[in-house]
Amino acid sequence: MDDRDDGGSRAVRISSEEVERFCDFLYRRTGLSLSEGKRYFIDRRLEERIAATGSPSFRAYFSLLRADADHEIEFLINSFTVNETYFYREDHQLRCMTSNLLGTIVRQRPSGSTIRIWSIPCSTGEEPYSIALWLMENWPQVDNHNIEIVGSDIDTRALTAAANGIYGDRALMRLSRVIVDRYFKPIADGRHEIDEGLRNSIEFTRANVIDPKDMARYRDFDLIFCRNVLIYFDDASRRQAAENLYDCLRPGGYICLGHSESMSRISPLFSVCRFPDAIVYQKPEADHG
Amino acid sequence: MVEVDAAAKARILVVDDSSLVRLYYRSTLERAGFEVEQSINGIEAMERVLSQPIDLVIVDINMPRMDGLTFLRALRCGPSDISSLPALVVSTESEMRDIAEARASGANFYLVKPVAEAELVRHVCVLTGVSL
Repeated sequence: MDDRDDGGSRAVRISSEEVERFCDFLYRRTGLSLSEGKRYFIDRRLEERIAATGSPSFRAYFSLLRADADHEIEFLINSFTVNETYFYREDHQLRCMTSNLLGTIVRQRPSGSTIRIWSIPCSTGEEPYSIALWLMENWPQVDNHNIEIVGSDIDTRALTAAANGIYGDRALMRLSRVIVDRYFKPIADGRHEIDEGLRNSIEFTRANVIDPKDMARYRDFDLIFCRNVLIYFDDASRRQAAENLYDCLRPGGYICLGHSESMSRISPLFSVCRFPDAIVYQKPEADHG
Repeated sequence: MVEVDAAAKARILVVDDSSLVRLYYRSTLERAGFEVEQSINGIEAMERVLSQPIDLVIVDINMPRMDGLTFLRALRCGPSDISSLPALVVSTESEMRDIAEARASGANFYLVKPVAEAELVRHVCVLTGVSL
């Protein structure tokens, strides 16, 4: 490894061997599977963390990281997670939720029963808020059950943003004017603050989807949205995540994945359910584990 | 969407332990021109009616710490300025004996959940004397 002077701004060059060691460390700690092919993505974020910690070299930074000095692992995870999303993303799954899934879930339940919905990873909150908004606007049974929505993410910075509930125009691009006027308040710099009642209706927590110990705190969900995260994992981590999510579901509960993801390729635990608006995966009713 | 005369705003207190239910009722009633306050149980609701003018309470039955019927009985035994406050009970309990018990506790009207937006607004208008 060598350091270089780059037009006055200090940048650190990282060797292939060092990237490999780093990726191995990141994988063991988070399940995120990155390789040399993502070199640009890795370098940008590593350079940012090396500069932020004032480390003179990659080697110095890596020592600091392994010792988790000043919670550096958390900062690193935050910089490596992708938090680009928007409201009503893949809304065909939200439509499926109110047209098919919830009807099946509540059929065997008395009025007033609790329905638990989980958004993991929830990033900066757009997904769990979208679920709440969609239910308010599209499910006539919304007051007939006690709906609990939990949003979880490994990235604590994203969770703080989610709890603050402030968004730019881009995040709101799929929402109608009526919905924006009804549930958002314009604030400075063209941003929008979400309704306080909506903010209070979501519980935000930190969770790592591939960590069985972390996930053991979450049980009895009827519906899980776990979209566009498994694509970042390798096969072993995907299987671990699928098993963890399985344990978090009630028997008969459903899981929605991202459009390019298929549970059938990851784990045989779930049944495939084809509805008019979406394909979702179900934990069999007979399993009471 | 149902809209009433915004000039005739009445203040409604929604008492329900589910945040999403409170949000649904608040959103519906605010769009109809009402002002809405919220409480999560009977204890908070009692504090609220004692501290500010309220024109109608919408009360759920099953709530932690103080349920809706206990709240209504306490309300009806309260100071004269709050004891005659109109109360609409909205609950998932749908048996005749639930309705009878709510009436005996002081409910003016009883709706079984789920309640559609228009139905909620219509009953709130009747109970507050606001014309549609």
